[in-house]
Amino acid sequence: MTRSTENRILATPLVLFLLVMLGFPTILDIIYSFSEVSFENLRSPTFNGGRNYISILNDPEFWSASWFSMKFGLATAFAECILGLVLAVYLAPIIRKNTWMIAVLIMPMMIAPAMMGLMYRLLLHEFVGALPHYMFYWLGDSPAFLSRENVFTTVFTIETLQWTPFAFLLFFMAYEAIPGEMREAAAVDGARGLRMFWHIEMPMMLPTIAVAFFVRFIDGFRVFDNIFVLTGAGAGGATTSLSIYIYLSFFRSGEIGNAIAASVILFCVSFLALFFAGRLLRRSGA
Amino acid sequence: MRTVRKLFYGGAASALLLATSIAQADVTVLGWPGGPEETALRAATEIYNARSEVAEDDKVKLIFFSRDGFFDKLQADLAAGTDAFDANLLATYSIGRYAPYMTPVSLSGDAADVFGESVLKTMQFDGKQYGVPTDLSLHFLYYRTDLIEELLADESAAAKYGDISEKHLGVRLEPKSPDDWTWQDFAANALYFSKSVNPDSPTRYGTVLQLKNLLFNIMVFHSLPRSYGADWMDADGNITVDSDAYREALKMYKILVEAGATPKDSFSYEYAEANSAFGSGQVAAMIQWNAAAADLTDTEKTPVTADVTKTIAPPTGPDGRFTHVHGLGLGVNANGKNPDGAKAFIEWLSTEDAAKAYALAGGATGLTSSVVSDIANERPDLVPLGEYASNYGFVMNGGTSAKALSVYELQAKEFTDYLSGGKSLDEALSATKDGMADLLN
Amino acid sequence: MSQKVKNLIRWLVFILVALIINFPVLATLSASLKTAAEISRNPGIFVQSPTLENYASILEVSERLNIFSYLQNSLIASTIASVLPIVLCFPLAYAVARRGYGKSLIFPTVVNLRAMPLIIFAIPLYMMYQSVGLLDTPLGLGLILAVVNLPLALLILVNAINDVPFELDEAARIDGARIFVILLKIVFPICLPALATVFIFSFITAWNEFLFGLMLTTTDAVPMTVGASFFFSSGGGGVQWGVAAAVIIVASVTPVVLGILMYKHISRSMIAGAVKG
Repeated sequence: MTRSTENRILATPLVLFLLVMLGFPTILDIIYSFSEVSFENLRSPTFNGGRNYISILNDPEFWSASWFSMKFGLATAFAECILGLVLAVYLAPIIRKNTWMIAVLIMPMMIAPAMMGLMYRLLLHEFVGALPHYMFYWLGDSPAFLSRENVFTTVFTIETLQWTPFAFLLFFMAYEAIPGEMREAAAVDGARGLRMFWHIEMPMMLPTIAVAFFVRFIDGFRVFDNIFVLTGAGAGGATTSLSIYIYLSFFRSGEIGNAIAASVILFCVSFLALFFAGRLLRRSGA
Repeated sequence: MRTVRKLFYGGAASALLLATSIAQADVTVLGWPGGPEETALRAATEIYNARSEVAEDDKVKLIFFSRDGFFDKLQADLAAGTDAFDANLLATYSIGRYAPYMTPVSLSGDAADVFGESVLKTMQFDGKQYGVPTDLSLHFLYYRTDLIEELLADESAAAKYGDISEKHLGVRLEPKSPDDWTWQDFAANALYFSKSVNPDSPTRYGTVLQLKNLLFNIMVFHSLPRSYGADWMDADGNITVDSDAYREALKMYKILVEAGATPKDSFSYEYAEANSAFGSGQVAAMIQWNAAAADLTDTEKTPVTADVTKTIAPPTGPDGRFTHVHGLGLGVNANGKNPDGAKAFIEWLSTEDAAKAYALAGGATGLTSSVVSDIANERPDLVPLGEYASNYGFVMNGGTSAKALSVYELQAKEFTDYLSGGKSLDEALSATKDGMADLLN
Repeated sequence: MSQKVKNLIRWLVFILVALIINFPVLATLSASLKTAAEISRNPGIFVQSPTLENYASILEVSERLNIFSYLQNSLIASTIASVLPIVLCFPLAYAVARRGYGKSLIFPTVVNLRAMPLIIFAIPLYMMYQSVGLLDTPLGLGLILAVVNLPLALLILVNAINDVPFELDEAARIDGARIFVILLKIVFPICLPALATVFIFSFITAWNEFLFGLMLTTTDAVPMTVGASFFFSSGGGGVQWGVAAAVIIVASVTPVVLGILMYKHISRSMIAGAVKG
C-alpha cells in the first residue's frame, strides 16, 4: 500500500461522516445564500444572484457585530491566557502536592454557558442577587453591571472567569511536562525565577499557549449562549456578537439568505486566515 | 456519488410519504408551557378526553416546548412541515407569520356569545378565524397602596412632589390616587419615589421599566404612546412611528431612565427581573403583564409587598386609557396527521362549557360579561380582565400582519438604542420608520 | 522570604481565585436551598432556613416534566457525541501529524467548523432528519453534536500524536507492521491520556449544548439543558429563581463529576509522565 492510499484511507471515515452530515446542508445553504428565501419558501427559494452578499457587506450591523466578536474574542483570549499562565506557573508548587486543587479550579468550565448566563441573571440582580447585595452592604452602592457603558466589561469578565480554567489546565499540564533535566541544566547555568521562566519554560510552553489562545479566541469570537441569556442583543444592539447577529436574522427576521451569506463570509475569512497561518508556521518551522 | 444521492433522495421521499400516510391514533396539541395556561389546558383536555362522543383516535395528547426560543422553534417546525403536532399555540402578533402553515378553523355556534367579537378578532388573520382564543394578555398598573396613602395624607409631601414634577417634567403636579393618574402623574410618582431624585424616598426606585432589547418589552411600553394617539400606520398605510405621540412617550421614558427612577440595570430587565424588583419592596409602581398579578399578590411568593399591592388599568393620556392586548389560542397545523381531530377539539374549546372549564382551571380567558358572571365567584379577577380588554384594549394597525413580530423587534432595538444613549431620538425614529416601511409594505 | 511563607501566600491566592471563579455556582447552590420568600428577603450567600422544596418541586412535576428522561437523553446523545469524534479523528490526526496530509484542506476545514455558528445548518438538517426519521431522537442529536466536537478533537489529537516519538512507529514500520496495526498497537496506547481528554471535553460540550437540542427535539429526545428551561417557567410565567437554581444544579452534576474524573485522570497521567521522564 502506498503512503498516499494509506493517507486517503485514514482520512476516509471523517470525510465520509462530514459529507453525510453536512453535505446536503452545505449544498442547500449555498443555494440559500444566493437566493431570496424565508421560512415561507424554504422548498422553493428564488435565485437572486449575489444580492444577499451585497446587502450583508453593506449592513453596518454586520460590521459592528463582527467588530464586537473580534474585540470580545481577542480580549477574552488574551486575558484568559495571561491569567491561566500566571495561575498555572505560580500555583504549580502547591498544586503538584494537592492535585485536588485542579478539580476546584476547573469547575466553572463544566457549567453550560447558557446556565452560566442564567446564574448571572440571578447573581447580578440588584434586589435578589448576591453580588449587589454585598456591594450595597460593604460599599453602600452597587454599579450598573449591565448598563450600556459597563456591559462589555461585565460579559468580558463573565467569559474570562468561566474559561480561564481552560487555559490554566492546558498550561499546567504543559508546565508539568517540561522535563526535570532541562530545569536542572538551566539551574546549573544560574537561571532561576523569572529568567528561568522566560528563557527556558516559556519557550517550551509556546505551542500550548498558541493552541490555547487559538481555541479561546475562536470560542470568544462565536460567543452566543451566555450573552444571549443575559442581555439578548443588548440595548440598541450593544452586545450583538456575530453569532447573535446571525441567529437573529435567521430566526427573528426570517432573512435566511442573509444569515447564511454572513456565515459563508465568516467561514471563508476564517478559512483563509487559518490557511495562511498554517503556511507561515510551516515556513518558519522549516 | 450520484447514485448515493439518488438513494438518499429516494429514501427521503419514501420516508416522507410513509410519514404522511400513517394516521396517528391521537391528536397532539402543542401548548404554552408552564403557568396557568398549561394547567388550564390540561384540565380542559381531561374533560374532553372523558367525553363519550370523542373517538379513541381523537383523544388529545399534550406536548410542550421550552419557553426560551419557543417561537423560533415553532417557526422552524412549521416551516419544515412538521407533523409532530396537530394543533399548536397561536398568539395575536404571530398569526400572520404562521398562517401559511395553518388551516382556518370553524368555531362553535355560540363562540361569539362566549368570547365576544373583539376577543375572537385576536385569532383572526385576513378575515379568517385561525384559532380559538384561550387566554388574554394585557397590562396592569401595579402600585403600593401603603405608599400612596402615606403620600396623600402628608401635606408637606405635596410641595416636594410639585417641585420634583415641575423640575423634571415641566408641569406642577399634585399627588393623586392612581385611579385618576395620567401618564404624567405616573412619571411624577416614579420620580418622587426614587432616591436619586428624592433622597427621603422610602423606596429606592419609583418604577421599574423593562428595557431589555426584547419584543415583549415593547408591548409593555406601547400602552403609553397609544394613549397619546400613537399608531404604526395611518389608514393609507403610511408609517406613523415618528409621530408626536411616540416622541412624547419615548421622552418620558428617557426622563425616567436618566433621573434614575428605574433600576440601573433596567436594560437587561424583562418580566422576571421586574417582578423581583417590585417584590423586593424597593419599587413604588410599575406597568406589568396581568399574568404577574397572581404571584405578586400572593403572600407566600411575595411576602414583602403582596398585602399592599393593588392592580388597576394603566394610566390615561390625552387620547384616553389604553392597554396593549393580545390573545393566546390554539390553531390547526396544516401538515398535522390528524387535522380533523384537531379541528374537533378546537371547536369544542370554543363552546361555553369548555371555555368556562378552562377559565375555572386558571386560564385568563376573555369572556363576555354574561358568561363571566356565572363564574365571577370563583374567578373575580376575570371580570376586570374582560372589562379592560373590551374598554381599553387595542392592537396597533399592522399588529397582526405577517411581519408584526419583526416590527416589535425593530422597535425594541431602536428604542432601547435611544433610551440607552446610543442614538438621538430623531435618528432612532427615522431608522424605525424606514425599517417598518420595509416590513409592512 | 522563606519557602513556607511563599507557599502560604500561594494558598491564599488559590482560595481567593477558587472563591471568585466559583462564586456563581456557590450563589446558585445557595439560592436552590432557599424558599422564594427567602430569596427576596435574603439575597446573600448564606442560607438562613435551608429547604429542599425546590428540588422536591422538580420531582413533583415529573409526570409532565420528566427530569430522568432528559438526563437519559443527554447521556445517550453525549456518549455518541464523544466517542464518534475519537473514532473519526484519530486516523486522520495521524496522517496530519506524521505526514502533513490534509493540512491545506481537510484540517483547516474541520477546525474552522468551530468558528461557524452551526445553527445555519439547523434548517437543512431539520429537513434531512425529518426525512430519514432522525428528528427527535437521541441518535440524531448525538450525531450533530459529534460534528460540533470534531474540531477540538482533531486539534488535540494532532497535538498528541506530534508528541509521540517518531522512532516508535518508524521502528514498527521497518518491522513490516501495517499502518493500522501501528495505529492501534503503538500510537493508540500512548495517546490514551489525550483520548480521554477528548472524550471528557466532548462529553461536557455535548451535555451543555442548547441550540441544537432545542431545534431538533420535541418530546422524546429532549436533552437536559433544554429540559431545564422547561422548569424555569413552571410556576408563573417568569423565572422562579429557586426552582431554576435547583434545576441548574441538577443539570450540572454530571459534567462536574466528569470534571473531577478529568482531574484524577490528569494527575494520574502526570505521575505516569514523571515515571517515564
